[in-house]
Amino acid sequence: MLQTSGSSQSTPLLQLKDVHMQFGRLAALSNIDLTVRKGEIYSIIGPNGAGKTVMMNCINGLYRPQQGDIYFKGSRINHLRPYHRANLGISRTFQKIELFGGMSVMDNIRLGRHIYLRSGVLSGSFFLGKAKREEIETRRIIEEEIIDLLEIQHIRDKTVGMLPYGEQKRVELGRALAMDPELLILDEPLAGLNLEEVEDMVRFIMDVNQEERWRVTCILVEHDMGVVMDISDRVYVMSFGRQITEGTPAEVQQDPEVIKAYLGEEDIYATRK
Amino acid sequence: MSRVWLPCGHYHQSYAKDQGWWQTPVIKLKMLLLLGIVLLGVPLLLPGYWVGVCTIIGYTAMGALGVQLLIGYTELITLGHGAFIAVGAYTSTMLVLHFPWPEVLVDLGLAYPLSIVVAGLFAGIWSVIFGLPTIRVKGFYFILTTIAAQFITVDLILTQYVSKIGGRAQSIKIPSDAAKIGPWTMSGDVKPYLLMAVLLILMVMVTANLLRTKRGRAWMAIRDNDVAASTMGINVFYHKLLAFFVAGAMAGVAGAFWVSNTSAMSPEHFPWFLSLKLVGVILIGGIGSIHGAILGAAFWVLVGEFLQMGVLPLADYWPNVLMSFTFLKTAFFGLIICAFLNFEPHGLAYRWWQIKNYFNLWPFSY
Ligand SMILES: Nc1ncnc2c1ncn2[C@@H]1O[C@H](COP(=O)(O)OP(=O)(O)O)[C@@H](O)[C@H]1O
Ligand SMILES: [Mg+2]
Repeated sequence: MLQTSGSSQSTPLLQLKDVHMQFGRLAALSNIDLTVRKGEIYSIIGPNGAGKTVMMNCINGLYRPQQGDIYFKGSRINHLRPYHRANLGISRTFQKIELFGGMSVMDNIRLGRHIYLRSGVLSGSFFLGKAKREEIETRRIIEEEIIDLLEIQHIRDKTVGMLPYGEQKRVELGRALAMDPELLILDEPLAGLNLEEVEDMVRFIMDVNQEERWRVTCILVEHDMGVVMDISDRVYVMSFGRQITEGTPAEVQQDPEVIKAYLGEEDIYATRK
Repeated sequence: MSRVWLPCGHYHQSYAKDQGWWQTPVIKLKMLLLLGIVLLGVPLLLPGYWVGVCTIIGYTAMGALGVQLLIGYTELITLGHGAFIAVGAYTSTMLVLHFPWPEVLVDLGLAYPLSIVVAGLFAGIWSVIFGLPTIRVKGFYFILTTIAAQFITVDLILTQYVSKIGGRAQSIKIPSDAAKIGPWTMSGDVKPYLLMAVLLILMVMVTANLLRTKRGRAWMAIRDNDVAASTMGINVFYHKLLAFFVAGAMAGVAGAFWVSNTSAMSPEHFPWFLSLKLVGVILIGGIGSIHGAILGAAFWVLVGEFLQMGVLPLADYWPNVLMSFTFLKTAFFGLIICAFLNFEPHGLAYRWWQIKNYFNLWPFSY
């Protein structure tokens, strides 16, 4: 377990207050209150259909909750569209990979830098000084900071849609990191990976959370209890759209309700075979 | 590694080089050769009639490039692109004929070039207006609004109102000295051809550059996955409108070019079939490829020419054939599009790419 304590850790980065989200008569989220602090890995666990992905969609703006408030860096962001929230520093990966399938790995990651590119339509049209410099600088950042970190040199010019699943997951992480986010949402980043790929991915997550260069706050939605209990600072447990409990991994593992509802089921608790 | 195929054994030493346009001396030579053929070879070597045919190819390609940008790169299906060519054509015509240009500008031959710029801007804005429904409507219903663009613009506004300006009924006569650029009056075969070539080269350059910078990547991102695009910080609606603006502006310039190549402007030059044809052109040429728009246009126009050459001698035996020819030609192109969709779904551009790769890797083509 990690104890990367520091004064910045207590600053709230993201807050959900009394969030409700309803699909027809199904309450996908009810009474959600949570606070993610700067610098931590905050994990969210719960059985399938618990509402984890819905919650992530509410945070990054793909869904608008019917009730409740979402604060990011102290300001209310309920009304902001996803692209606006991305500009504020919220970035994410998806449970069901959402890459730009027809484009190369490099271009996918370049799209992660979209918000930092300033050159206008006109300088872009003629590839004038500004656009050109910017493109070359973007290329350098991606090569040196993303591609090297994720060890994907060998696939950088491949079309993303043709890559095996594990590599797609990695590219999706790279694209999210290229945004230089303050908050990184990872929706089941380990699902479907083999053991070796899981180890790599966990290492990447810990790197971007802890390395001075990144220091990214992470929300981790994951079923792999071994990993969650290992690397999380705090864990939020939910079921049927409601909070069951929240706390450090040690506290959560002691919670009788969690043991009953979730961890008790041996086949879920077991780490992957 | 690089986006373009380098001949065996070539690698780049810097990111700047790797992002360049003409990455090796060989590629540079090939591009210069191509420019030479387009700007000198065609006008000097081909007979006048065929220079005219090349002009039509270029005019078609200019329209198809905008359709390619919308359909092939942003996945905004449009069946009304001819409307914006028409807007450009009429804007330029009206400006050249009726705008109170200062004497100096007319003498310097700047009136027509300026009208091309204004036509581009105006058609771009007109196109954005018909792009506005994308904020709510998608897919099939959006296609309907693009068809509405065609009928509202050409069949209603241009036919019923604009064509009647100056008291005439259908077409507006364009005096042969109306389109004047600098000292040159756009008459004969070669001058309009050269104007077309310059405009088309500019458009290809702009499109290619946009596609490798921020805006173009955003378009392709929207095409591939609009949800992920918005998550990357891309304002999807704004970028769709921008695609409409750029495509519309290119159509407007193409339309303004048409002023130099016709002696009368009529709404009949911009029927709905023109809009459909432009989609057919990129289907044949290859969706999502700049080459595709040009190859498709060349294919379409040349096949039409050859068909006509084949049919003309029949007129002696079967007088009706020329009347039926227009319909037969349309039907024939319908068949060709079906054939392409079935047997060559990636279009001519893909074939071209394969041939090129073969030679780039030669002699180690495994
Ligand atoms: N767009 C939607 N429309 C209707 N129901 C939805 C939608 N998205 C999610 N749901 C429902 O919300 C519940 C929670 O789903 P989800 O958040 O995907 O669960 P998980 O915790 O496994 O990620 C499920 O019952 C799901 O069917
Ligand atoms: Mg989920």
